[in-house]
Amino acid sequence: MTLIHIQDLSKHFRILNRHEGVKGAVRDLFSGDYRTVKAVDGISFDIEPGEIVGYIGPNGAGKSTTIKMMTGILKPSAGLLQVNGLVPYDNRMRQAMIMGVVFGQRTQLWWDLPVIESFKILKEIYKVEQKMFDEHLGMFNELVGLKALYSQQVRTLSLGQRMLCDITASFLHNPQVVFLDEPTIGLDVSIKAKIRSLILELNRTRNTTIILTTHDLGDVEALCRRIIIIDKGKTLYDGDIKKVNALFGAYRTLKLQLRDFTDATLAALQERLTVRFGTGHGITIAQTEDFWTDVTIDQARTALADVLGFVMSNFTVTDVRIVEITMENVVRKVYDGALQ
Amino acid sequence: MRGYLAFVRGAIMVGVVYRLGFLFTILGNIIYMIIAYFLWRSIYAGREILNGLTFDQALLYIALGSTIFILLKTYTDWGMAQEIRDGTISVYLTKPIDYQLYNLFTTIGFASTSILTVSLPTVIMLIFVFRIHFAIGAGYLFFPVSLLLAFIINFNMDYAVGLSAFYTESIWGISTTKEIIVSVLSGALLPLQFFPAAIQQILMVLPFQAMFFTPLMMVTKPDQEVGVFLQMLAVQAAWAAVTYIASRLLYSQAIKVLRVAGG
Repeated sequence: MTLIHIQDLSKHFRILNRHEGVKGAVRDLFSGDYRTVKAVDGISFDIEPGEIVGYIGPNGAGKSTTIKMMTGILKPSAGLLQVNGLVPYDNRMRQAMIMGVVFGQRTQLWWDLPVIESFKILKEIYKVEQKMFDEHLGMFNELVGLKALYSQQVRTLSLGQRMLCDITASFLHNPQVVFLDEPTIGLDVSIKAKIRSLILELNRTRNTTIILTTHDLGDVEALCRRIIIIDKGKTLYDGDIKKVNALFGAYRTLKLQLRDFTDATLAALQERLTVRFGTGHGITIAQTEDFWTDVTIDQARTALADVLGFVMSNFTVTDVRIVEITMENVVRKVYDGALQ
Repeated sequence: MRGYLAFVRGAIMVGVVYRLGFLFTILGNIIYMIIAYFLWRSIYAGREILNGLTFDQALLYIALGSTIFILLKTYTDWGMAQEIRDGTISVYLTKPIDYQLYNLFTTIGFASTSILTVSLPTVIMLIFVFRIHFAIGAGYLFFPVSLLLAFIINFNMDYAVGLSAFYTESIWGISTTKEIIVSVLSGALLPLQFFPAAIQQILMVLPFQAMFFTPLMMVTKPDQEVGVFLQMLAVQAAWAAVTYIASRLLYSQAIKVLRVAGG
């Protein structure tokens, strides 16, 4: 049975057009000057139990708005939305029992209390049996070693520790579906890895459906088999990650610090790369404002190592960095028809 | 219900977690009591009775009034406005809890810590330091119920003010206005007997007197007929019900602003 069914879902906000300055602010008090923002604009998809779905897109794409509709906080402007056969905003309390939610920017834990007290409060709210509660915490302790944190006040935790506790909290009542809204935002690599393996393990052992929004393509690669890309409230892509993976997995950006940061050097670089690797080389060059020269390479066509070796032996390079493609670039490439 | 009691427990723990703050609350109240004692001593200046109250009754009224004021002063409206403004309310809306009851029980938890820090020391001081003469009567028995009803009325008003943050985004003006109105019209600042008779009559039909004046009357004049107390409780209960229903209705309207216009 389908767990989440969404059809032609839209959410439009009416926003007051604010004017500048004191005069504008006073004018806004009496203004009837609204504009409509289509945060979510006719999206459709179905999610089956046990799936891990990456719900991605650039800032302001409508990801959080969709999550808020699925969790029953926001009422859709139009369209159909059912979770487990029920409409979330009409059955908020009941739906909350089968859902877990983590907002990466906020915490559901009590700021001034030791971690374990928050867990105990949540245990009461969700009416979790003592036996299940103990089992659950035991399992988390095995996976990520939480026990040491139990007696610490939440406000004294590091961001990563707090996130581990928040995720633990959202799984306490063994929900059918967990929404993770930017769970790895601002975290370092090692804690990210910990969180990813925790999510995978929970999905594997309990068959919990997980909807993940993130900016980090690493999260998506590590966790999801299916991704949904949205931008400006519309679905750009919904399908197997492999196809997308081939796309953004193949691209790498070589960031170069050239000694002569001039237009002439850039032109020379462009020309010599074309001579060396031919016209269909899949290399694009751009200069950034902070004096880096970005060489983006499609590894399916040209090997990064070859380009690096060639540049190093022909130009004076003072520093080199290799970065993976960003979310914004993926979206741009999808727009350009890369997935058609 | 068990779930909501967890909020009471949590709030009590938050209330006592900062030991120094806890200590200063106790100290601050003791200083206030001493000042109030000498102030009202000089107001009476040898006179036996003012506006039908003896010095002991007036001091009792003022001292207990201030402890009730602190008991009711839980900043629920400020906390809610903060949560509504910064969007933390979303976190509560994803939980299987009623937002009003969640706030009520959290507020009860916070208030219970101030029973420990303020109410108890005040009563001890009144009995052992100022050696106030307490009249004997049935009023004391009704007092706890009356106090609980006063607490609920006050909470409902705070809650309604907090909800206004959905519309205004800033509740500073509304909240301060409410505070001034409540402290004057409820008899928290001054016994209602000190107001002109005509104004007293108006005040008696407003909900504010049910928040301070009624419970205070039960302890300053405990030797009245049982029927009088029951009537007082009935009026309080009616106001508690009216404010509860009104704030519920306001919530169902206010939440639409969030759900339709976005968080």
